[in-house]
Order: sequence, then C-alpha cells, then structure tokens
Amino acid sequence: MAPDTATDAAPRTATDRETVLSIEHLNGGYGRKQVVFDCSMHVGRGEIVGVLGHNGSGKSTTIKTIHGVIPALGGKITYQGQDTTRNGTRVNVRNGMALIPSERFVFQDLSVLDNLLLGGANEPDTGKRATRLELVYELFPILRERAGQPAGTMSGGQQRMVSLGLALMSSPKLLMLDEPSLGLAPSVVQQIFSTVRHLADTEGLAVLLLEQNVGQALKIVDRVYVMRSGRVLLEETVEQMRARDSYWDLF
Amino acid sequence: MQIWLNYTDQILVFAMLAVSLNLLLGYAGQVSVAHAAFAAIGGYTMGARVENHHWSFLPAVALGILLALIAGIIVALPALKLSVEYLILLTLAVSSVIIGVFVASKSLGGTYGLIEISGNKIFGFHLDRPGDWVIPLAVSLIVVYLICWRIGESPYGRVLKGLREDPLATQALGKNVFAYKVSVFAITSAMAGFAGAMYSGWYHLATPGLYGFNFSLTIFAIVIFGGMANLTGSVLASIIIVLLDPFLKRVLKLNADKSFVVQLIIYGAALTLLMRLRPQGVFPEGFSLWKRLRHGRQREARIEMNAEDWVPDTHVSIREGDHEPTHSEQGERESRWQNAPVVLQARGISKSFGGIVAAENLDIDLRKGTITALVGPNGAGKTTVFNLLTGFIRPDHGSVVLNGKELVGRTPDAVARMGLVRSFQDVRLIQRISCLTNVMLAVQQQPGEHLVPLFTPGPITSKGEDVTRDKAMGWLRFVGMADFADVPAGALSYGQSKLLSLARVLATEADVLLLDEPASGIDTKWVDTMLDLIEAVREQGRTVCIVEHNLHVVGRLADHTYFMELGRITAQGTIDELTGSERLAEAYFGT
Amino acid sequence: MFARFDATTVAQLTANGVIRGAAYGLLGVGFALILGVTGRFHFAYSFTYTLAAYMAFTFRFRGPKLPFWIASFLGILFATVVGILIERFIYRPLARRAGATALLAVFVAALGIGIAGQNLIALLWSQATQAFYGPTKKGWHLGTTTFENFDVWQVLTALALVLLLTALLRFTGLGRAIKATRVNPELATVIGINANVIYLVCFGIGTFLAGVSAFWYGLQVSIQPDIGQRPVIFAFVVAFLAGTARSPLRVFLTGIAVALVEQWSSIWLSVRWTQTAVFVILVGYLASLSVRGKKLADIFPFLRPAVSAPTSSISGS
Repeated sequence: MAPDTATDAAPRTATDRETVLSIEHLNGGYGRKQVVFDCSMHVGRGEIVGVLGHNGSGKSTTIKTIHGVIPALGGKITYQGQDTTRNGTRVNVRNGMALIPSERFVFQDLSVLDNLLLGGANEPDTGKRATRLELVYELFPILRERAGQPAGTMSGGQQRMVSLGLALMSSPKLLMLDEPSLGLAPSVVQQIFSTVRHLADTEGLAVLLLEQNVGQALKIVDRVYVMRSGRVLLEETVEQMRARDSYWDLF
Repeated sequence: MQIWLNYTDQILVFAMLAVSLNLLLGYAGQVSVAHAAFAAIGGYTMGARVENHHWSFLPAVALGILLALIAGIIVALPALKLSVEYLILLTLAVSSVIIGVFVASKSLGGTYGLIEISGNKIFGFHLDRPGDWVIPLAVSLIVVYLICWRIGESPYGRVLKGLREDPLATQALGKNVFAYKVSVFAITSAMAGFAGAMYSGWYHLATPGLYGFNFSLTIFAIVIFGGMANLTGSVLASIIIVLLDPFLKRVLKLNADKSFVVQLIIYGAALTLLMRLRPQGVFPEGFSLWKRLRHGRQREARIEMNAEDWVPDTHVSIREGDHEPTHSEQGERESRWQNAPVVLQARGISKSFGGIVAAENLDIDLRKGTITALVGPNGAGKTTVFNLLTGFIRPDHGSVVLNGKELVGRTPDAVARMGLVRSFQDVRLIQRISCLTNVMLAVQQQPGEHLVPLFTPGPITSKGEDVTRDKAMGWLRFVGMADFADVPAGALSYGQSKLLSLARVLATEADVLLLDEPASGIDTKWVDTMLDLIEAVREQGRTVCIVEHNLHVVGRLADHTYFMELGRITAQGTIDELTGSERLAEAYFGT
Repeated sequence: MFARFDATTVAQLTANGVIRGAAYGLLGVGFALILGVTGRFHFAYSFTYTLAAYMAFTFRFRGPKLPFWIASFLGILFATVVGILIERFIYRPLARRAGATALLAVFVAALGIGIAGQNLIALLWSQATQAFYGPTKKGWHLGTTTFENFDVWQVLTALALVLLLTALLRFTGLGRAIKATRVNPELATVIGINANVIYLVCFGIGTFLAGVSAFWYGLQVSIQPDIGQRPVIFAFVVAFLAGTARSPLRVFLTGIAVALVEQWSSIWLSVRWTQTAVFVILVGYLASLSVRGKKLADIFPFLRPAVSAPTSSISGS
C-alpha cells in the first residue's frame, strides 16, 4: 500500500501549515560540553524538514533536547502552541512526540511484536492499539510475518522498519528521525523514506529528518536546515537545495 | 591500662590492613573484598608453623607473607580482564574458598581454628602481654605505611590511578596495566598476610570467625571512611573505629554485647550516609594536612577558567582567519607528502565481526612530517582503523610496520611504547587528577614507574620525576594550558580537555600520532588555535593522522587524504581531488 | 574420602538439592531481576530477607498477634516496602550524584545498609534465636527418600512465584516495559517508559521473593539476625551464573543446579568441603571467562547510566 516513489506534488509553503514545533535560540549540550548554539527551527503540520550536517554538527543533540532526553541549556521550545522547554520525555511522548535514535533503535532481545506493543503502551484503549498495529503491519508487511522473531536478529533495514513501527504506534504528531538511512541499501532507504512521506501527506505527521545522506533526504523533504559545529548554517527550500551543484562546502 | 594497650595494638593491626587495602582499592581501584582472607593466610600460616611445627616467630611470619603474596598473584591472574562487578564476585568467592579451606582442614583446627599460638619471641624478647606487642606492631605499621606511601605517591602510583580511572586510556599511553594489576595485588596481599601474621600473634588465635567476611567489610569500611588514596585517613579512621568500642562502653555505658552491635550499626549507617552525601570519602583525594599548612589557600586561587572569552595561552604563531589552501597549495602539499619518507606502513588490513566487514584490505602510508586525514561518511570505519593500527582490535589479516618493526599481534601498550599513540574521540582524561599529572602520566621511560628503582636508595626516581615534570609542563605550555597545571581535569570545559588530550599524546614523544576528531566540539573562537597547534606539531617533524568529519578542518590541515567507505579505501589525494569527484559525492551524500 | 555412590544416597541428595535449590533459585531470581534491570549491586538484600522473617514473627507472636498466615504475609509485605524505600531514598539519589562511580558507591551503601540493618535487628529483637512456628511439621517420604511437608510447600511456592513472574514478563505490558528497560535503558526512556517506576517495581518484586524465601527458612530452621548473610551470597552467585538477561525460570533452574552440585559433591567430599566446592567452581568459571576474553557487555548489560542523569551520546552529535 505504501507508494514507492516520492510524491511530486506542488510544494506547499510554510504559511499553509500550522506550526507543530518551533525552537528559538536553543542551547543544548551535556554537562560542561555545549554542543548546540543558538539554534532556531520550525516544523509545520505535514511538513518534512531535513536537518543536514556532518557528524558532530549538533543534530542529534538538538532533537534529544527537544524530546526532553537532555535538559535545554537555554532558549525556548514550543510544541503545539505550548512551551515545552522544561518538559520531560514522558510528557512529550504522551503529547505526541516520537524520536528514533541513530543507534540501538530497537529492543534487540524482544520480539518484533513486543517492540511494537511497547510503542503503543501509552494508548489505554486496546481497540485503538489493535488498529494502530494493523496500520503498521500494512505499511511494513514483513513485520507481520516476523512478529515473533527477536528484533535484533533481523536485517538492518528491517530493524529500521521495526523502529519506525514502534514510533508510529503512539500516533505521534511530531516524528524525529536520526540518520535512518545509516548502513542501509538505497532501495530500502527509498522504501522507508517514501513511507514517511506518505504519512506526512495523509496523516499530517510533522517530521524532522536528520541526515548525512543528502541525496535521499532531498527526495522527500520540503525544507532543509544545515547545521555545522552546533549552529544552523542556513535554511533553504528543497528546490534551492537541489539547485546547488556541490554540497561539500556545507559539510 | 592493659585494656588501652589492647586497643592500641588493635588499632595498629587494623591500620596496617586498611592502609594496604587502600593501596589496592583507593589508588588502583580494585574492589576486593578478600583482603581479610589474605590476612587469614598470613595468620594461619604463622599460627600453624608456631603451634604445630614449633617454628620461631619471625620465620613463620615470613612464610605467611610469602604464601599470601602467592595467593595474591593467583587471584590477580583471572581478575586481569574482569570488570568491577566480576572482581567483587571473584574476590568474594576466593575469600569464601580460603576460609572454607581453613575451616575444613583438621590440621588447622577446623571450625575452632588454632587457639594456642603462644610463646612467640622476637630476637629473644618475649611477646606475651599486649604491652609487648605495641612496639613490634607500631614498627610494622610504619613499614607498611611507608611502602604504601612510597608506591602510591610515585610515578608507579600515578599509573595505578590511571588503572583505576581508565585502564584503556592508560594502556594507550604505553602502560602495561595487566602487569600493574598483578603486582599491586601481590604487594597488598603480602602486606595483608603480614598484618594477619602479626594479628594472630597478638591475639594468640587464628580462627575462621576472626577473619570472616565481616572483618573484610570492616576494613573496607575503614578505607572508605578515611578516603580513597588517603593513607593518613585510613589510619585516622582505624583509630576512630576501634575507639568506638570503649566510647560506647564507658561513655554510653553499654554492655559488651550491645556495644558490639551498636558499633556495627554505626559503621553501616555512617557508610551509607557517607556514600549518599560524599561518595569520595571524608577526605578528598590528594588532600594533605601538611600541604594545606604549608601553602595555605593560595593553591586554590580561583582561576577564571570557564570565562566565556577564554583562549589558550599558547606561543604558537596564529594564522589569522580561516585560511584554506588554494588548489595549487594543495598540490604542493601533496607532492611534499609523496616525497616524505614512510614511517608507518599498513598493508592489507582486514577485519570482520561476524558477518560484517569492518575493514577490507586497507593500505595506508603515514609519512614523516605530514598530516594525513581519514574521511568518509558515517559508518565507514574510520575509528576502527585507529583501533586496528594501535592493537586495540587485532586484524584478521595484514601487517602494520612502524620504523621497520611489525606491530600486529602486539598489545596496545607495546604499540604505544614503540611510537604509535592515539587520542580518543571521547577524550578520556583522568578526571580526578590534575592536568599536569595527566600529562606526566604520558611521559615515557620514567624510572619511578617500576618498583625496583622506587626502593633503591639514590636520586634516580626523584631526578626522573623532575625531568618528567619539566617535560609535562613544557607540553602544557605548548598548548596554552600552563595555568591549569594544578586544576583537576574534571573541571575543564570540553574544548580545554581536548587541548589537554593533545598535550598528553604529545608528551609521549611518539613518532606517530593518531588524532581522533581533534577539532570537534571546540568553540569556534579558538578552533583555529587548535589547528595551528596541530600544524606546529607537523613542523616539528612528527607524523600525524587525523580522523575528521568537518571537511573544512581537513582542508586546512591535511597534506593527503584517504577516503573510506564501508571499510574500504576507495580514493585518496588532495581535498579538491576528492570533492571534485562525482562518485565520491554520491558516496558521501547519497544519490 | 571414599565415594558413597548408592541409589538411596543419591536419591536423598537429589531431593535435598531440589529443596535447597528452590530457595537458592528464588533468591537468585529476585536478585537477578534487580541487578539486571537496575544495575544496583543490592547487597542489602540480606537485610530485607532477614527483616521479612522477623516481621512475620513479630506480627504473629508479638504486638498484634495475628493469625499465622496473615502475619507472615504482612511480614513479607513490610520487608517489600522497605526494599522499595531503599531504592527510592538511598540508591536513586546516590546513583544520580555519583555519576560514573555509581556502581561502587551503591555497592558500598548497600553494604552499609546490610551491616547496619542486621545489627539493628539484633538490637531491637536481641541476638537470640527466635522460634517461628505455626503449621504442623510432618515428615513425608518417597521410597527411601525423606523430606518434610514444609520442604514440598516451599518448592511449590517458589516454583509458582517464578512461573508467575515469567508470565508477567512474557505477557503483560508491565513485563514488556521491565524487559525493555533491561535490554535498552536509553531507548526505554526515549519511548516514554518511566524507568524510575520500573526500578521500584523490580525492587518490590525482588524483595518480595526474598521475603518468601526467608519465611520458609524461618519456619524450617529458625530466625536469627545473621540468617541473611549466606542467602545474599548465593543469590549473587546464582544470578551471575545464570545471567541476569535470562528468563526467571532459567535462573531458578540454575539455582537448583547449584544446590545439586553442592549436595552431590558430598558423595566424594566430606561435608566440610561441600560448601567450598560451589565457590571453587565459581572461581573456575570466572577464570575461564577471563581466558576466553568474553566481553562483559555481551553477558551482562551492566554499565548503565543513572536514570535521571543525561544520557551521554559519545558518537555523533
């Protein structure tokens, strides 16, 4: 059911959408190590925003700060109109934020089904949860086939699907993905990315996509931020980004 | 009066055990709960020789020490590769086995133990009453204290602290941490055996109850109270703990049974409270009343270390601006690289983990007086290359030759001593010791790092230490961190710790330096200074290889760059050559 | 030391092994749950073990003088609450403060609680042995093998609890959350699991299991302040040998195996040596681990950061 090519719909401008997430002058880091400096971004409903940058540019730290995994060192985070700067992860998850880390993104020893059920743990209504599970199975049929298999024994791409399924089980409004294409074959990446695009288009899911793989990312994003050394270097639309002949200066 | 002499003797014995355990636990970080069991070996051996075989005292003590030493070595060997949790379990099991053997041996009195150890004499002087024992025990304590102090506060002790905090980083600086682990276990077990032999002599008993697990815990508690790596603290804590008994009995008028129980409640509660409030122990590491009195508070003068506008105070000439080499300058550098002699040559390096290929047929040349860079997308295997070259991971195939000698198959510390040293992406400094001490740890060939020179009379070790200190200060000055010499490394900002890490690898005076992301995470205000420092290192004729993600940094520094993808080197040359290639752009950025 | 290898002896030793092993196993399961999920070196397990027996005794023979089974249950419950409080008010704040040295700090604090607790019990109740009794003791036999009714009940309750726990972990949401926290604590936090609460639950379950074990010991043998010392060591040993990432049933069976080794070794060794035999085997096992160079993290996912401390990401931004 998931389409296998990126949509080529007319680009929607930022003003069409309500802002789901907005960060202003965000500072983030770990203890004495400040990694993110004065970072401002926003994501609208149904929008896929790419955050590009080399390793160590501050991308992961930014989304972890948004998600409440690390406390913000300064600045403001506004999610769905509320100030969530001081919020912890649990509250954020309950309000519809989901984050998929770049490494160790599944519970390896647990079965695929257990992984998915964990994602849906916040949903008290078992009926709704069952519906959600069905949806995930339809997006990624292989998960239905391998429901009893320990997630750690599946291939890299399949594990990514598990992680995405896990995140989707909580019916998120904001999805933050940290380098989902790492270590995956291009065809698999394409499949996963187009699923994400599909969800943004049909469910209005707002997505922050962190990537080093510029080529694949540009196929599905609407806008792009480039980060370097902890700061936002520039913001461009996907067309402007595609128009560049070389990306080396950005990295 | 008799009773105070008894208490004094007891304090002396406990202090001997605590001081020796402190060397093992506080300095070397080895969490052993078997200390009392080693004392038991000493006590039982002495007791058996004296009671059953009618040996005289001193030879029996000597045998006790020897057996305890051997036991210490035997325990240390399986412990070499075990981490803290396993070490606790191992020492617990060993402790049970040792006591179990004593309980089960009929010749050692079984569950009753040896109960008539008497008639001991030293040089004809009878040791019957508590008063007779005070001097021998005091002398013994002084001997043990001096040995532990000498070891702990020496370059050898510095390595022990490295072993305690970060064995991996310490190994990377060329120290054979396994040898240190075995030797510190051996020495401290021998001292415990000594203490046990004296203890049983004084007590006229060697029983399982005397040396049970409870005793180990009491000694452990004393060390924690007195402070890790604080020998005076261990002595003071011994006094307090032993005197708790008369205090409870006389001042609070508790009877003997109650006093015993209340004492233990107090130790236990105090331990827990101490951990809750101050995990380092009552006295902080390196705290010395003596030093405090002499230098007053001036050493703790506040330095504005974390000021926003801090920059390193280095004398290296700083090039203004973000000067990136032009195309022709790059070409010059490349040819300079080609003409420089090869210092390190890696050929055919391959490694797989299970089915995953981490490195495949890598050929890398590092040339004298140049900076080579390794770049590539995430997951390309760059840090793995460093691990393979330095021996932290053993390659499946291939060879690495440094100055004509093969490195593959050698331990990481051997590789470091041979002249190939690396820094870590996560820095890995020893947080609790000063910056200067961190750098001093890296200096090679220090006589004081070995036991024999330490105990040989003469100025060899102190002269060696002066040389080490001067060298280390020199490197601190080079990176502009001289003001931070006495500051604990844990207080530094991330960027400052990167500078210190650079000073540390430089201090090894290794021919080849592998720097893992030296410029990442550094404040943009002085990242140029860091880059200039690395270039200055190159000017000194050293060979440098860096892994970097920031291509601007690579552009500035590298004479030659290798491009890696999925464990293979697929291109090499100047930065322009690499960035000009469409295929590489595809590999790095995706289609 | 000659071998007493005849069917009667072997059968009896096996029965003894299963009985003792059920106790070791139950203790091991509780300890493994705590250690595996929270990473706390909970040496104070000995204290809550002993406390359960004493509180059962007190509720029955002192103060309220409740009926036997109610008193016993309340005693175990009391100890369970204490176990949870230890995690909440001592280990958790301590681990947060101690950062990298959390493991050692928690170990030392646990030792402190263990020592202080045992002696506090001696102070409050006296060092003397207390007799704890209630139901009638009956001797049963199966062929030539003899045992008591208490033995059988003890094995059955232990087995039942272990199976219940296994089912909890396998089939319920809470069980999944517990396993998730054990397998990947960072990801568990990211998906919104409240690791602090999970830790408290594990301490509750682990302490409860120990309490049950203590109850049976008190009934079968006696109650004294030091009854917790050996059980905590065996709990520790069983948990390590079985592996804290294993299912409770597996840990339980490992406990039985350890007891069987202990019992069977008396065929060749005199009783004096059998206790030591288990430790000798343990030392051998640890030495072999070292030789094989197995990575610790492969067996025990131990080095976990304190829950409320920021998860430091070393790789990437």
